[in-house]
Amino acid sequence: MKIIVPVKTNPDLQMIRIKNREPILEAVPYKVGDLDKNSVEAALQLQAAVGDTQVVALTIAEGNRKIKDTMKEVLAMGADEAYILSDDALTAADQAGKALALAKAIEKIGGADLIVFAEGSTDNYSGQMGPRVAELLALPEIGYAKKLTVADGKLTAERGMGDLIEVLESSLPAVVTVTSEINEPRIPTLMNIMKAGKKPTTEWTLGDVGLDAAAVAPQKAVLSNLAEEQQRKNVMIEGSAEEQCAALIDALIKDGVLEA
Amino acid sequence: MEKVDCIVVGGGLAGLSAAYGLASEGLEVILIERGDYAGAKNVTGGRLYVSPIRDMYPELWEAAPFERPVTREFITLLNSGNATTIEFASDKFAAQPYQSYTVLRATLDLWLSEQVMEKGGMVITNQRVDELLMEDGKVIGIRAGEDEIGADMTIVAEGVLGLVSTKAGLRQKPSWKDHAVGFKETIELPQEVIESRWHLSPGQGAAHLFMGEVTKGMLGGGFLYTNKSSISFGIVLGMKDAKERADKIDVYTLLDDFKAHPHVAPLVAGGELLEYSAHVISEAGYAGIPQLYGDGYLLAGDTAGLALNQLYTVRGMDFAVASGYYAAKATLEAKQQGDLSAAGPMYEKMMRDTWVIKDLETAQHIPHFIENPRIFTHYPQSVGRIFERLFTLTSDPTEGIYHKVMGSVKQDFVNAKTVKELMGVRKI
Repeated sequence: MKIIVPVKTNPDLQMIRIKNREPILEAVPYKVGDLDKNSVEAALQLQAAVGDTQVVALTIAEGNRKIKDTMKEVLAMGADEAYILSDDALTAADQAGKALALAKAIEKIGGADLIVFAEGSTDNYSGQMGPRVAELLALPEIGYAKKLTVADGKLTAERGMGDLIEVLESSLPAVVTVTSEINEPRIPTLMNIMKAGKKPTTEWTLGDVGLDAAAVAPQKAVLSNLAEEQQRKNVMIEGSAEEQCAALIDALIKDGVLEA
Repeated sequence: MEKVDCIVVGGGLAGLSAAYGLASEGLEVILIERGDYAGAKNVTGGRLYVSPIRDMYPELWEAAPFERPVTREFITLLNSGNATTIEFASDKFAAQPYQSYTVLRATLDLWLSEQVMEKGGMVITNQRVDELLMEDGKVIGIRAGEDEIGADMTIVAEGVLGLVSTKAGLRQKPSWKDHAVGFKETIELPQEVIESRWHLSPGQGAAHLFMGEVTKGMLGGGFLYTNKSSISFGIVLGMKDAKERADKIDVYTLLDDFKAHPHVAPLVAGGELLEYSAHVISEAGYAGIPQLYGDGYLLAGDTAGLALNQLYTVRGMDFAVASGYYAAKATLEAKQQGDLSAAGPMYEKMMRDTWVIKDLETAQHIPHFIENPRIFTHYPQSVGRIFERLFTLTSDPTEGIYHKVMGSVKQDFVNAKTVKELMGVRKI
């Protein structure tokens, strides 16, 4: 069996500082998304369960200049090889463009029996890649699975639906997206990190998968992604630390937050 | 068991320098670092003296992402009611090649690790070395989690606590009594503000040390280094003094008090706190250097006790780089001779024949000298009193300059204690 795991690498969210409501991305390293590690782990567990299975990681560089290093983590977890789509035109692409690029890359890899996505990316979390790629490749898709099994050429997936569990079955090939509760991603061991450097990594441009910049040009523009600004009370309390504390407590009592 | 030529434990300056030297000569080297990346867990007050290490890997220091060259030195004697600052600028320090630079380790160490990888060295992060593998008293490799890797030579540069090397019995467990703790804030300030506050030409930097009120009489002092667009601002404090102090002062309040001191607050005003960090520093000096090598291993950097506090300069990173450099050099030479067991003695000789151990030896009386609390109370106050008297003008008839100054000098400096301490100064 062949499993393709498309993963996203995103700027290390813990390293981003916000200044004047803008994230400072300069010098922030990229990491494989936390949620993407769940999808890699899911594929590796299927590999162990089914046997004779190849796990292929696929990603879009999206401005990550050290993408090969970043992807080593996926290889160190246990993926057998990695493909990287690296093209400046993809940095500005929207979900439609990226999904198209991923679908074309999957075709060029030669397709797969199963394509495992994370439920969404760890940074933007639009959750569109799984369904979009399934549609482009005309494959059945199951979203938000929290358990996967493959047996007798069939995929069985469980989805948590509040107070009940839905069990779905699909023929292969198929696309599935998995939630973070599906597993606890493994931490690569020293030996596996050492081996990861020797695993094959292939870099493609858009041209290599039969696309050009126009094909992935964004069809929509993000005007703003800021949270609504709320009107605050703007009460400034001045004085020494003790005076400020006393005044703050008084103000909170007046507003009914604290009891007198 | 998988085996490589060399394993380096720890991705600080010592480990990275060793790995760089080994990888440059084509040895198969693996550097293992606990943090997310080399530099993630590494802390400095702020300044790297490049002069002593310039000839070791000159190509690195020409390209390294330093913050600012230090071209101005400030020393402030800080008292509760006054402050005396010496500002020293020299054309020599303001011209290339610069003697020292301010650095941020997250930037510098990460960059160095990339240089190691470019030379073919393997830098593995997020992995903790749990123990050294021993066989008949010889270090034969490491264990990390369930994985064991063998090596002909293991260079242990795991930092000041030296957990792995101590566990393996390669050095004594360090005593808190001869260590200090440094803690600092990185505070963001615009470049122009930094340059105007410390009288700097664009791009140039300052080192600013503080003594006296900062540590409330305890061994240590304050420091402030200007980075590109932030300052490293903190305190180094002797653990013994801090722990044995009668009024059990909360150490963390020292930094707040320091920052709020009327003569310090304007320097940090308007800054935004970016991060806190802290680091243990050996104050043992020469006496704190363990046996530097044994069968199959070399110790480098803080693990080898290589740190020097001379009050007006605090060094550690240059020692770390030098020890890593010599560890690599000795290993390479020994390998070429076909006898790796020669590496240890060669390493020690290189360290002893150069400034590395010699500087520590020269300064060996400093740890005892600076144990004297009067250095952190009496003397800063005395200097403050002299200047306060000198600059004071009242409606009373004023004294002559000589009387103003000598009155204070006599009172504070001409006494048995000071004379005795002056004798002590001759040793350092």
